[in-house]
Amino acid sequence: MRFDRADPLAAVLLRSPLGALVRGVARIRTSVQHKLLVAFLLVTLLFIVMGAFSVQTIRRMSQHTDWLDEAHRRVDLSHQLQHSLAMQMHLTGMALLVRNEMALSSVLRENNRFNDTLARIEQQAPDAERQIIQKIRTAQEEAMTVVADIANLVRDGKIDAATELQLTREDPLYRSIDDLVRVVAQHEDERMASLRASIQSANRRSIVVMGAFAVVSVVLALVGGFVISWAFILPVRAADAFLSDVAAGKFAGVVEVPNRDEFGALATRLNETARELARLDAEQRLTADTLRALNLKLEQASQAKSAFLANMSHELRTPLNAILGFTEMILDDLYGDVPAELKEPLADIQTNGKHLLRLINDVLDLSKIEAGRMELSLGDYAAEDIVGTVRASLRSIADDKGVELVTEVEPNLPDAYGDAKRLTQCLLNLVGNALKFTHHGRVTVGVELQGGQLRYRVSDTGIGIPADKLDEVFAEFRQVDATTTRNFGGTGLGLSITKKFVEMHGGRIWVESELGKGSIFYFTIPLRVELAATA
Amino acid sequence: MSDKTVLYVEDNEFNRKIVRQLLAKTTYRLREAMDGEEGVASALATPPDLILMDIQLPKMSGLEATRHLRNDPRTAGVPIIVVTSFALSGDEQKATVAGATAYLAKPYSPRALLAKIRELVPEG
Repeated sequence: MRFDRADPLAAVLLRSPLGALVRGVARIRTSVQHKLLVAFLLVTLLFIVMGAFSVQTIRRMSQHTDWLDEAHRRVDLSHQLQHSLAMQMHLTGMALLVRNEMALSSVLRENNRFNDTLARIEQQAPDAERQIIQKIRTAQEEAMTVVADIANLVRDGKIDAATELQLTREDPLYRSIDDLVRVVAQHEDERMASLRASIQSANRRSIVVMGAFAVVSVVLALVGGFVISWAFILPVRAADAFLSDVAAGKFAGVVEVPNRDEFGALATRLNETARELARLDAEQRLTADTLRALNLKLEQASQAKSAFLANMSHELRTPLNAILGFTEMILDDLYGDVPAELKEPLADIQTNGKHLLRLINDVLDLSKIEAGRMELSLGDYAAEDIVGTVRASLRSIADDKGVELVTEVEPNLPDAYGDAKRLTQCLLNLVGNALKFTHHGRVTVGVELQGGQLRYRVSDTGIGIPADKLDEVFAEFRQVDATTTRNFGGTGLGLSITKKFVEMHGGRIWVESELGKGSIFYFTIPLRVELAATA
Repeated sequence: MSDKTVLYVEDNEFNRKIVRQLLAKTTYRLREAMDGEEGVASALATPPDLILMDIQLPKMSGLEATRHLRNDPRTAGVPIIVVTSFALSGDEQKATVAGATAYLAKPYSPRALLAKIRELVPEG
């Protein structure tokens, strides 16, 4: 699984110039932590620079404001000059009108203020203006001399001469001063206007530069973030696609990423894991194939064994049929009267032949049960009939032994569902055993309904079973001791088969016993057996 | 009334001998066949009154022979007793499905066999 084949979006991205950048970042041989740290530091640096630039701009703008204030002040001063000049002319005229030279002292005060203002304008004035100011100062001094003359003439009462002087000297002088002052005022106005214009344009420039800087910073931050995140997202996506393949059982793929960071290491580990999984998978498949083949062989062997047992059983029964058949016919006097002394040996042949037949049947049943080939043949039956069949089959044996065979069937039992033939076999085994081990007294066969289950019960007044052997009675070929088999007959398989049939029905079998007093065997069978329970 | 004919299909000589000696004391007449094919041929040639069929036979099994005979109009109505060998492995069901009138588990008692024959085809 390659880096760019993970998904279509990634493929488009990696064909763009940004793709090269993403690969470049991925290839840098350093940890993810450092890459992220550098990216965040770069973005932070951009914002610090932008902040510094903004502070600088704000400072420049506040300086501009100061400059503008200063220009305003100078314009005000030049206007004060004009006003002061007008006052001087007005005061001189007033002194002439009231014919009092004392009125001219106000002109001197006004002159001081004028000179003072002029000196303030002169500070920081450009050279051209300074020259004009120099001319104003000279003219003003001359005007003061004329005013002093006018004052003397007024004091002497020579009003006409004073008026003459005022009209011919002072007035033209003041007019020329006024012209000069106006030039200065105009100069200052122009300076202020040009300053305002230059400040405005500087501010506009600052805003443009700041805006551009902000845009560039944002773009750089976005591109940086984009590149660094895709350098991490792409390997994750590639790993995800690869892992989904692995999860689907495809171990053949390889995840390829250009990263030389933790993601690169992760991809290497993933590839190693996939290789190991592929190896284990192949190994497991091989094992499974071997096991399957072995299982098939075992199944065939098991079938061969079953077939062998079936054939064997037939082959054993055929001669047995002849032995038992001929014996019975002889005992039935088919060939003429049998001498009395031959009757017992013939009966022995018959008994042993029948025992051999039971052994064959039991071995066949057990082998089928153990091979899982025994199937129940389920149908409706009445528990009462089973007890009846068992009683009918074994009554003659009980009678011969002088043992009472009693049945206790709960009245009105509902119809049951199960394998009546097998259940009959089970009960026959238990009652047969009970009769075998009981020499006097009684054997009781009972059945009752208990919580949806039929409970069969076979109790006897026989020899009983030692407490420590109770667990073993259901095992194959286990009678209490080996001589028991010889003394009492039986195949030693009956209880084991009975237990298995009961369990196939989903039931339970157990025994209670007291040595010398007798035993009680119980087994429960569901009233209606479910097919699933027969497995 | 003429004597009833019983056809016994069985490959084992001793078993045939038992039935031969058993029926010798009765009015039944016995015909014997050694395998499934011979049994079917004999039954179709001259249908007997009753057929006793062993289940494991050479050439053709007793079940197959029974099916054959049941499907032929000449023998469709003849009672067939199938002698099953594996009484516990569901052979009875197979025998019934194949069309057996009755079945008898081997080893059978000659007394019971005779009773069964008499029940299905009373002596003439």
